Amino acid sequence: MQNRNERILIVEDDPQIRNFICYLLKQEGFSYITVGTAQGALSILVSEQIDIMLLDLGLPDFDGMEVIKKVREWSEIPIIVVSARDQDKEKALALDSGADDYLTKPFSATELMARIRVVIRHLYKVGGTKQLTSLAVGGLRIDLDKRLVYLDNVELHVTPMEYNLLALFFRNIGKVLTTRYIIKEIYGVGYGTDTQALRTLMAGLRRKIEKDPAKPRYILTEIGVGYRLSDE
Amino acid sequence: MVIFRNKEHIYIVRYMLITTCMIAVATGIGWIFRYIAFPETNIVIVYLLFVLMTARFTRGYAYGIVASVIATFTFNYFFTKPYFTFSVNDPTYFITFAIMTVTAFITSTLTSKAKQNALEAQEKEAETSALFQLTNQLTDAANLSDIASIITDTISGIMNCRAACLCFDESGQPEQSFIQQQCAGKQVWRKVDDTAEMKHRIEGLRTAFDVGDEFCDWPIYGREAILGVLRIPKETATTMSESQMRLLHSMIESTALAMDRFRSTQKQQKSREEVIQERYRSNLLRAISHDLRTPLSGIMGTSEMLMDMIDLNDPRYFLAKEIYKDADWLHSLVENILSLTRLQDGRLTITKQLEAVEEVIGSAVNHIMKRSPEYEITINIPEEVLLVPMDAKLIEQVLVNLLDNAVKHTPSDREISVSVIEDKIKNIAVFSVTDQGCGIAASDLPHIFQMFYITHSRQADSQRGVGLGLTICEVIIKAHGGTIEGHNRADEQGAEFVFTLPMEVQNNAEQE
Repeated sequence: MQNRNERILIVEDDPQIRNFICYLLKQEGFSYITVGTAQGALSILVSEQIDIMLLDLGLPDFDGMEVIKKVREWSEIPIIVVSARDQDKEKALALDSGADDYLTKPFSATELMARIRVVIRHLYKVGGTKQLTSLAVGGLRIDLDKRLVYLDNVELHVTPMEYNLLALFFRNIGKVLTTRYIIKEIYGVGYGTDTQALRTLMAGLRRKIEKDPAKPRYILTEIGVGYRLSDE
Repeated sequence: MVIFRNKEHIYIVRYMLITTCMIAVATGIGWIFRYIAFPETNIVIVYLLFVLMTARFTRGYAYGIVASVIATFTFNYFFTKPYFTFSVNDPTYFITFAIMTVTAFITSTLTSKAKQNALEAQEKEAETSALFQLTNQLTDAANLSDIASIITDTISGIMNCRAACLCFDESGQPEQSFIQQQCAGKQVWRKVDDTAEMKHRIEGLRTAFDVGDEFCDWPIYGREAILGVLRIPKETATTMSESQMRLLHSMIESTALAMDRFRSTQKQQKSREEVIQERYRSNLLRAISHDLRTPLSGIMGTSEMLMDMIDLNDPRYFLAKEIYKDADWLHSLVENILSLTRLQDGRLTITKQLEAVEEVIGSAVNHIMKRSPEYEITINIPEEVLLVPMDAKLIEQVLVNLLDNAVKHTPSDREISVSVIEDKIKNIAVFSVTDQGCGIAASDLPHIFQMFYITHSRQADSQRGVGLGLTICEVIIKAHGGTIEGHNRADEQGAEFVFTLPMEVQNNAEQE
């Protein structure tokens, strides 16, 4: 068991799940604080040094969605939502409000740990991303300076739109980007929520970077929510 | 009828009497004038005055005209030389006669006309106030039978008859009984013998009203449908004057307005209630799903934790694993029931958007591979991007359910495949999930889409199913306007499930 420096805040009112998460985190060597209310979570965030927050949406005092919005007013701390709500709308809403990831109950230990790992990796990159001009995931590499994309060290010809899309994903490795967010970033605010153009653009890009576009290895689809660039 | 005719006779006699008296009085005054030697012209003026009076006190033009002619003749008879004959010595009198007749004629008609106008105005005023009162009362009506009762009462009062009113319900069917006026202030319910016949008769109507044996029926037309029937005894209906008819029509019109207004208020309220109910239902569903999922996650997580702590050879590991498996099964049952409840509410709003087929299939396959990594699932999609309007999340669920079935019935070394092609002629996308498993037993084939149907011809060691997966698939595909069917493969062993989705974008996608 290795010891880790990250401190995780678990906001969950159900003792069973809290125990389960605590056990998992202890196994992995994380230190953690647990709290059962939204109010409590906010006061701990202010007073303690916290690196990651695991947040349940159905809290007894007020909705977890409010916690996300409040926290995002002053902090960039990674938030992983752990909720029993499985509607896409709620997922997308939580992500658009500023949550970094979303896990639906019931979840397995491996799923939770994978999400936490993504967030941690991101945590250390944030400071250095600006200096980094080249980012890679597996055999896919992007050169942000020269605006070039390489697949297995062979330069890939992509259209400017496809490049923008890929760059957006590389700036958010491992993070779920909602369709709405992507459209806003790629096509601009006035474009609305017409997903057709994005679906076509994505299909074109996948045909260039994936061996089998239906079994993507790099850009994964989160049906009803958005996409995520795999981090492995 | 007889009484009515007598009344008319009385009027004629009375008016004739008035005319005669007027002329007699005029002649009397003329006599006095001549006696005190007033000029003859004054006598003419007196006659004119009394002709005018005649017109004033009688009804219609006839009496005035008759009076003017008689007046001229009496003047001729009594006051022109030779007296008491109709002959005249001085031919200039003819001019006097002519002018007298014409003047009397004109003044009498003018008076009659003025009187007629006054009468009409009075009638109109009565009509207006009756209508106003009716509308006022209708505004306070609390329900349809109140409206019917008010119109019955008002019309019975005005027409002096026993009117009745029948309402039609929202589906356009006549209600079971009429509201009928018994006497002033008393109403009774009278049963309709044959409502279907009644409806048929009223709907097929080409004239303004329907004449029956005893009654005449006026339909009350609303904006969209017939709202009711007003029934008036035939004898009253056939003897109605034009103005009464007009009044009746206006009253029916305001009744229709009131009924329409009532209906639309009712509809509004109903839809408001439905919205509230819908919100209540979805809140309930959400609460249930939350309240079941949370403890289930606890059970699954805790048993996972236990499994992690216990050595694989320890018998307790097996127990923990059983807990996990059962909790997992319960979880899928809950999920299935929840999605079916959502879908079968009948109010499922599918938000179709153009989605890339490869993404949906890829996501579903990915889902299955995570659960059963030992299987190999092949995907066959067209080279070109295929965008199909659908609710991606629901279609993903269909594919997951079908693949899940395939995995359950197929050994891990056999092939499972998903493919999609576009049928350009029929303008549909055809999805199929095929396996090389045990296939579907002939006895099961007709029942596979039934709720909670689980095959009985299955080996004992296989996983327990829930029996909702295919039902959910069918509901989702039908809601998309597609078709789904399952059968055994013709070329080799195994089952094949095929579903289609229409390619055209429907309006609701554009509204999004």
